Amino acid sequence: MDESRSVRFLGLLRALIHHGVDFLVVGGVAAQLEGAPVLTFDLDVLYDKTSENIERLLPVLEELKAHYRDPAGRHIEPDIDKLKTFRTHLLLTELGALDVLSAIGNGLTYHDLANRTVVYELGDMRIRVLELAAVIETKEQANRDKDRAALPVLKQTLLMKTQTKQDEES
Amino acid sequence: MAQSPHPTPEYVPLEESSDGVDLTLIRWTLSLTPLERLELLQDWVDGLTELRHGRVTER
Repeated sequence: MDESRSVRFLGLLRALIHHGVDFLVVGGVAAQLEGAPVLTFDLDVLYDKTSENIERLLPVLEELKAHYRDPAGRHIEPDIDKLKTFRTHLLLTELGALDVLSAIGNGLTYHDLANRTVVYELGDMRIRVLELAAVIETKEQANRDKDRAALPVLKQTLLMKTQTKQDEES
Repeated sequence: MAQSPHPTPEYVPLEESSDGVDLTLIRWTLSLTPLERLELLQDWVDGLTELRHGRVTER
Protein backbone atom coordinates (compact mmCIF):
# COMPACT_ATOMS: atom_id res chain seq x y z
CA MET A 1 0.00 0.00 0.00
CA ASP A 2 1.09 3.56 -0.65
CA GLU A 3 1.47 4.61 2.99
CA SER A 4 0.50 8.18 2.12
CA ARG A 5 -3.01 6.86 1.42
CA SER A 6 -5.45 6.59 4.23
CA VAL A 7 -7.40 3.53 5.27
CA ARG A 8 -10.48 2.72 3.15
CA PHE A 9 -13.07 1.58 5.67
CA LEU A 10 -15.82 0.61 3.25
CA GLY A 11 -13.40 -1.22 0.98
CA LEU A 12 -12.07 -3.35 3.83
CA LEU A 13 -15.58 -4.17 5.02
CA ARG A 14 -16.67 -5.04 1.50
CA ALA A 15 -13.76 -7.46 1.08
CA LEU A 16 -14.63 -9.28 4.32
CA ILE A 17 -18.34 -9.44 3.47
CA HIS A 18 -17.64 -10.58 -0.09
CA HIS A 19 -15.75 -13.62 1.20
CA GLY A 20 -18.43 -14.49 3.77
CA VAL A 21 -16.22 -13.90 6.80
CA ASP A 22 -18.04 -13.93 10.15
CA PHE A 23 -16.85 -10.87 12.04
CA LEU A 24 -17.96 -8.01 14.24
CA VAL A 25 -16.78 -4.43 13.84
CA VAL A 26 -15.29 -3.34 17.17
CA GLY A 27 -13.12 -0.49 18.46
CA GLY A 28 -13.12 3.04 17.11
CA VAL A 29 -15.10 2.38 13.95
CA ALA A 30 -17.81 0.66 16.00
CA ALA A 31 -17.91 3.68 18.30
CA GLN A 32 -18.19 6.05 15.33
CA LEU A 33 -20.96 3.98 13.72
CA GLU A 34 -22.78 4.10 17.04
CA GLY A 35 -22.60 7.90 16.94
CA ALA A 36 -19.54 8.73 19.05
CA PRO A 37 -17.26 11.26 17.33
CA VAL A 38 -13.92 9.48 17.65
CA LEU A 39 -10.98 9.40 15.29
CA THR A 40 -9.30 6.15 14.34
CA PHE A 41 -6.89 5.23 11.61
CA ASP A 42 -7.60 1.53 11.41
CA LEU A 43 -10.47 -0.91 11.20
CA ASP A 44 -10.73 -3.38 14.09
CA VAL A 45 -12.64 -6.59 13.49
CA LEU A 46 -13.28 -9.49 15.86
CA TYR A 47 -13.39 -12.74 13.90
CA ASP A 48 -15.00 -16.05 14.66
CA LYS A 49 -12.09 -18.39 15.32
CA THR A 50 -13.60 -21.53 13.80
CA SER A 51 -11.50 -23.34 11.23
CA GLU A 52 -14.12 -22.73 8.53
CA ASN A 53 -14.14 -18.99 9.17
CA ILE A 54 -10.36 -18.74 9.27
CA GLU A 55 -10.32 -20.51 5.90
CA ARG A 56 -12.61 -17.77 4.58
CA LEU A 57 -10.61 -14.99 6.25
CA LEU A 58 -7.17 -15.93 4.98
CA PRO A 59 -7.97 -15.48 1.24
CA VAL A 60 -9.27 -11.96 2.01
CA LEU A 61 -6.01 -11.10 3.74
CA GLU A 62 -4.05 -12.57 0.83
CA GLU A 63 -6.13 -10.62 -1.68
CA LEU A 64 -5.49 -7.42 0.31
CA LYS A 65 -1.75 -8.27 0.46
CA ALA A 66 -1.88 -8.09 4.24
CA HIS A 67 1.26 -8.27 6.31
CA TYR A 68 2.05 -7.58 9.93
CA ARG A 69 2.96 -4.06 10.98
CA ASP A 70 6.30 -5.30 12.25
CA PRO A 71 8.37 -2.72 14.15
CA ALA A 72 11.51 -4.40 12.85
CA GLY A 73 10.33 -3.94 9.28
CA ARG A 74 10.19 -7.65 8.44
CA HIS A 75 7.63 -8.78 5.88
CA ILE A 76 5.52 -11.36 7.74
CA GLU A 77 2.23 -12.52 6.30
CA PRO A 78 -0.66 -14.03 8.24
CA ASP A 79 -1.38 -17.72 7.80
CA ILE A 80 -3.82 -20.31 9.12
CA ASP A 81 -1.63 -21.27 12.08
CA LYS A 82 -1.12 -17.67 13.19
CA LEU A 83 -4.83 -16.88 12.85
CA LYS A 84 -5.67 -19.96 14.92
CA THR A 85 -3.03 -19.30 17.56
CA PHE A 86 -2.62 -15.60 18.19
CA ARG A 87 -5.13 -13.11 19.54
CA THR A 88 -4.04 -9.92 17.82
CA HIS A 89 -3.03 -9.39 14.21
CA LEU A 90 -2.10 -5.79 13.44
CA LEU A 91 -1.94 -5.76 9.67
CA LEU A 92 -1.22 -3.34 6.88
CA THR A 93 -3.16 -4.01 3.68
CA GLU A 94 -3.60 -2.41 0.28
CA LEU A 95 -6.61 -0.65 1.78
CA GLY A 96 -4.91 0.48 4.96
CA ALA A 97 -4.49 -0.68 8.53
CA LEU A 98 -6.66 -3.63 9.52
CA ASP A 99 -6.56 -5.11 13.01
CA VAL A 100 -7.86 -8.66 12.98
CA LEU A 101 -8.60 -9.84 16.51
CA SER A 102 -9.79 -13.13 17.98
CA ALA A 103 -10.39 -11.61 21.43
CA ILE A 104 -10.71 -8.14 22.94
CA GLY A 105 -10.93 -6.67 26.43
CA ASN A 106 -10.59 -9.41 29.04
CA GLY A 107 -10.39 -12.10 26.39
CA LEU A 108 -13.93 -11.71 25.03
CA THR A 109 -14.44 -13.61 21.79
CA TYR A 110 -16.77 -13.32 18.82
CA HIS A 111 -19.18 -15.71 20.50
CA ASP A 112 -19.07 -13.82 23.81
CA LEU A 113 -20.07 -10.59 22.06
CA ALA A 114 -22.20 -11.75 19.12
CA ASN A 115 -25.42 -10.99 21.00
CA ARG A 116 -24.24 -7.49 21.87
CA THR A 117 -24.29 -6.13 18.35
CA VAL A 118 -26.30 -3.81 16.17
CA VAL A 119 -26.78 -4.51 12.46
CA TYR A 120 -26.20 -1.52 10.22
CA GLU A 121 -26.86 -1.25 6.51
CA LEU A 122 -24.02 0.54 4.81
CA GLY A 123 -25.04 0.85 1.19
CA ASP A 124 -25.54 -2.72 0.01
CA MET A 125 -23.78 -4.26 3.01
CA ARG A 126 -25.15 -5.43 6.34
CA ILE A 127 -22.51 -5.07 9.03
CA ARG A 128 -22.62 -6.36 12.60
CA VAL A 129 -21.26 -3.73 14.94
CA LEU A 130 -20.49 -4.01 18.65
CA GLU A 131 -23.00 -1.87 20.54
CA LEU A 132 -21.63 1.23 22.23
CA ALA A 133 -22.14 -0.04 25.80
CA ALA A 134 -20.03 -3.10 24.96
CA VAL A 135 -17.38 -0.95 23.24
CA ILE A 136 -17.10 1.00 26.50
CA GLU A 137 -16.85 -2.18 28.58
CA THR A 138 -14.12 -3.67 26.40
CA LYS A 139 -12.15 -0.41 26.45
CA GLU A 140 -12.44 -0.28 30.25
CA GLN A 141 -11.15 -3.84 30.39
CA ALA A 142 -8.27 -3.11 28.01
CA ASN A 143 -7.44 -0.06 30.14
CA ARG A 144 -4.67 1.31 27.91
CA ASP A 145 -3.99 5.05 27.86
CA LYS A 146 -5.72 5.45 24.48
CA ASP A 147 -8.76 3.52 25.71
CA ARG A 148 -9.08 5.60 28.87
CA ALA A 149 -8.72 8.80 26.83
CA ALA A 150 -11.67 7.86 24.64
CA LEU A 151 -14.01 6.91 27.47
CA PRO A 152 -15.50 10.35 28.32
CA VAL A 153 -16.74 10.86 24.74
CA LEU A 154 -18.04 7.30 24.50
CA LYS A 155 -19.88 7.49 27.82
CA GLN A 156 -21.37 10.88 27.05
CA THR A 157 -22.57 9.60 23.66
CA LEU A 158 -24.19 6.58 25.28
CA LEU A 159 -25.91 8.86 27.79
CA MET A 160 -27.25 11.12 25.04
CA LYS A 161 -28.41 8.15 22.95
CA THR A 162 -30.23 6.71 25.93
CA GLN A 163 -31.88 10.03 26.74
CA THR A 164 -32.99 10.47 23.12
CA LYS A 165 -34.46 6.96 23.07
CA GLN A 166 -36.33 7.58 26.33
CA ASP A 167 -37.68 10.90 25.00
CA GLU A 168 -38.90 9.18 21.83
CA GLU A 169 -40.62 6.43 23.81
CA SER A 170 -42.39 8.77 26.24
CA MET B 1 -31.47 56.12 31.29
CA ALA B 2 -29.79 56.00 27.91
CA GLN B 3 -28.77 52.60 26.57
CA SER B 4 -25.09 51.83 26.18
CA PRO B 5 -23.94 52.18 22.56
CA HIS B 6 -22.15 48.85 23.00
CA PRO B 7 -24.66 46.41 24.47
CA THR B 8 -23.23 43.32 26.10
CA PRO B 9 -23.48 40.39 23.70
CA GLU B 10 -25.89 37.71 24.70
CA TYR B 11 -24.09 34.94 26.57
CA VAL B 12 -24.11 31.63 24.76
CA PRO B 13 -23.63 28.86 27.29
CA LEU B 14 -20.95 26.27 26.59
CA GLU B 15 -22.32 22.96 25.54
CA GLU B 16 -19.81 20.81 27.36
CA SER B 17 -20.11 18.02 29.86
CA SER B 18 -18.47 18.44 33.26
CA ASP B 19 -15.40 16.62 31.96
CA GLY B 20 -15.09 18.82 28.89
CA VAL B 21 -16.76 16.69 26.22
CA ASP B 22 -18.18 18.77 23.35
CA LEU B 23 -21.89 17.92 23.30
CA THR B 24 -22.54 19.73 20.02
CA LEU B 25 -20.22 17.35 18.19
CA ILE B 26 -21.96 14.31 19.66
CA ARG B 27 -25.39 15.74 18.82
CA TRP B 28 -24.21 16.27 15.24
CA THR B 29 -22.85 12.76 14.75
CA LEU B 30 -25.96 11.25 16.33
CA SER B 31 -28.06 13.16 13.78
CA LEU B 32 -26.29 11.37 10.90
CA THR B 33 -27.05 7.96 9.45
CA PRO B 34 -24.51 5.19 10.15
CA LEU B 35 -23.23 5.42 6.58
CA GLU B 36 -22.83 9.19 6.93
CA ARG B 37 -20.94 8.65 10.19
CA LEU B 38 -18.52 6.30 8.46
CA GLU B 39 -18.09 8.74 5.57
CA LEU B 40 -17.40 11.50 8.09
CA LEU B 41 -14.71 9.39 9.73
CA GLN B 42 -13.26 8.68 6.28
CA ASP B 43 -13.19 12.43 5.55
CA TRP B 44 -11.41 13.16 8.85
CA VAL B 45 -8.82 10.45 8.20
CA ASP B 46 -8.29 11.56 4.58
CA GLY B 47 -7.94 15.19 5.64
CA LEU B 48 -5.41 14.40 8.34
CA THR B 49 -3.48 12.14 5.99
CA GLU B 50 -3.29 14.94 3.44
CA LEU B 51 -2.12 17.36 6.10
CA ARG B 52 0.51 14.92 7.32
CA HIS B 53 1.88 14.66 3.81
CA GLY B 54 1.59 18.38 3.07
CA ARG B 55 -0.80 17.91 0.21
CA VAL B 56 -3.63 20.15 1.22
CA THR B 57 -5.40 21.56 -1.81
CA GLU B 58 -6.75 25.06 -1.71
CA ARG B 59 -10.53 25.18 -1.59
